[in-house]
Amino acid sequence: MRRLLTVLLFACAALMGVVTPAQAHNVLIGSDPAEGASLAEGPRTITLTFDQTVRQGFAQISVTGPDGTRWEDGKTTVDGAKVSVAVRPLGPAGQYVAGYRIMSSDGHPVAGKVTFTLTAAGTGAAAQPAPAATAPATPQTPGLSAQAAEAAQNGGAGMAVLWIVGALVVLGGATVVALRRGGDREASR
Amino acid sequence: MTATLERAPGTGPAAGAVRRLLTGGFVSSALLAVLAVTALTAQEAVPGIAVPGPLVEYGLPVLRVLLDLAAVAVVGLSLLPKMLGFDDPDRTEPVMRRARPLAVTFAWAWAVLALVIIVFQTAQLNPGVIPTPGMIARYVDDFGAGQGMLFSAACALAYAGIGLLAVRFGEKVPAELRIVIAFFGLLPIPVTGHAVNSLWHDPIMISMELHVMGSAAWTGGLLTIMLLVAGNRDLLAQVLPKFSRLATLALVLVSVSGLVNGLASLALTQGIELPGALFGSHYGLLVIAKTACVALLIPFAAHIRFRLLPRIAARQATAVVAWAAAEITVMGLAYGLAVALTTASMT
Repeated sequence: MRRLLTVLLFACAALMGVVTPAQAHNVLIGSDPAEGASLAEGPRTITLTFDQTVRQGFAQISVTGPDGTRWEDGKTTVDGAKVSVAVRPLGPAGQYVAGYRIMSSDGHPVAGKVTFTLTAAGTGAAAQPAPAATAPATPQTPGLSAQAAEAAQNGGAGMAVLWIVGALVVLGGATVVALRRGGDREASR
Repeated sequence: MTATLERAPGTGPAAGAVRRLLTGGFVSSALLAVLAVTALTAQEAVPGIAVPGPLVEYGLPVLRVLLDLAAVAVVGLSLLPKMLGFDDPDRTEPVMRRARPLAVTFAWAWAVLALVIIVFQTAQLNPGVIPTPGMIARYVDDFGAGQGMLFSAACALAYAGIGLLAVRFGEKVPAELRIVIAFFGLLPIPVTGHAVNSLWHDPIMISMELHVMGSAAWTGGLLTIMLLVAGNRDLLAQVLPKFSRLATLALVLVSVSGLVNGLASLALTQGIELPGALFGSHYGLLVIAKTACVALLIPFAAHIRFRLLPRIAARQATAVVAWAAAEITVMGLAYGLAVALTTASMT
C-alpha cells in the first residue's frame, strides 16, 4: 500500500506540471452605463468590465429596446477585461437591456444582462424589428480561427483526433475479441 | 468440487436484486440530483443573446455525471485486487475474473463519454449550430477544459488497453499500474470546472485533485466490494476491514478538501462576501448541500464501521449491503451536486 501511495504521489506531481492550470471564472464587476442607470441621452458604446481578462472571440453583447428592437451597432470587441459594443442613436424612451454572453477564461460561457432606462426619446431608428436571437455562428476574430485552422492542418488537434480514432478502432476490436473469448472460457467450464 | 463452491460469489438470484439496488440507487440519485439542480439554476433568458438548446443544457451535465460514475467504477474495480490481496488466488480469482472485464467496459464508457462531452462543450459555446470537426478541433486547441477531457479520454483508453491485457493474463499485469492510470484519468477533470485566479490557485487545485481522487476511491471501493464481494462472507471479512481504513482516510480527505475548495473559491472571487454568498448564490447553496451529504454519510459509515464490521469479521450475516446501498445513494447525490457545482454561478 505504501508503494502504491508513493507512485500516486509521483504521478500527481508529474501531472501538476503537465496539465495547463485552470483559469478562473469571470465575474461582471462593472458596466457603463451602470445597472439600473437612468440616462437622458443614449450611450454611444456599452462597456462591460469583468474581474479579469475575457477570452477573445465568442464574446457577444446585444442591446434590446422597449419593444424588442435591436440597437447594437457592429461587432463586439474585447480589450483585456473590457468588452464593448457600439450603440446606434437610441429611439423611444424606456427600458433597454444590454445582454451579454462571454467566454470565461476557465472555458465556461457566462451570460447576463445590464438594464438601463432612457428618459428622453432619441432620434434613432431600430436596426431591425425584433429579430430572433441570433447566434454568433463564427467567432468574431478571424485571426483566431485562422490560427486554429492552421494548427489543425499542421497536426495539433487534427492529429490527436486521428490517433484517438485509431486507438478506438484497435482497442474496440481487441475488447470484443477478448471479452468473447473470456465468455467462451467461462461457458466451457 | 460442488456447485456451490464453484459458483462465483454474488451470482445467486438474490444478488441480482442487490445489484439493482446498489447501482440503481447510485445512478438514479446522481442523475436526479444533477437534473433537478440544472432545472432550478437554469439561467434566465437574456434578450438578444442565443443560448444553447435544452439538449445541450441538460445533456452536458448528464453526460458529465455519467462520466464521473464510470470513472468511479473503474477506480473501484482497479482498487479491488489490492484489497483482495494476492495470497489466495483460489478464492479471489473468481471475483477478479468478473471484475476485470467490467473494468474494461467502464473504461470504454468513460472514454466515449469524455469524447462526446467535448462535442457538447463545443456546442455549448456555439449555440444554435451543430459543431463541425473544425469547431471541435478549435475548441480543444483553445480551451483547457477540452484538453482536459481529451487527456481523460486518452487515459481511459489506455486503461481499457491495459485492462484487456489483465483480462488475458490475470494479475501478472500489475494492479498498481491500473490504479495509477485510472487516477491519472481523473486528474484533468477538475480543470474543466471553476477555478480562481490568485496566489492560492495551486494549493486549491491540489486540494481539488485530492478531493476527486478521495471521493472516487471511497465511492468506487464501497460499490465494488458490495457488488462483487459481499456475497462471500469469508472474503468480505477479509476485505472490508482493509477498505474501512481507506474509507476513513477518504472521509477526512474529502470533507476537508471539499470545504477548503468551496469556501476558498467563494472568498477569492471578486465582489463576493462571505458568509452572505453562501446562502445568496447557487454556488454557495450547492456547497452547503454537498456538506449536508457528507454529514449524512457519516452515520451510515459509522454504523458499518463500528456496529457491523465486528460481526462481519466474525463471519456473521449482516444487513451491510442495505446500509451500503443507502450510503452509496447519498454518494450518488453528492456526485450529481458536484457536477452542478462545477458550472454554478457564484453571484
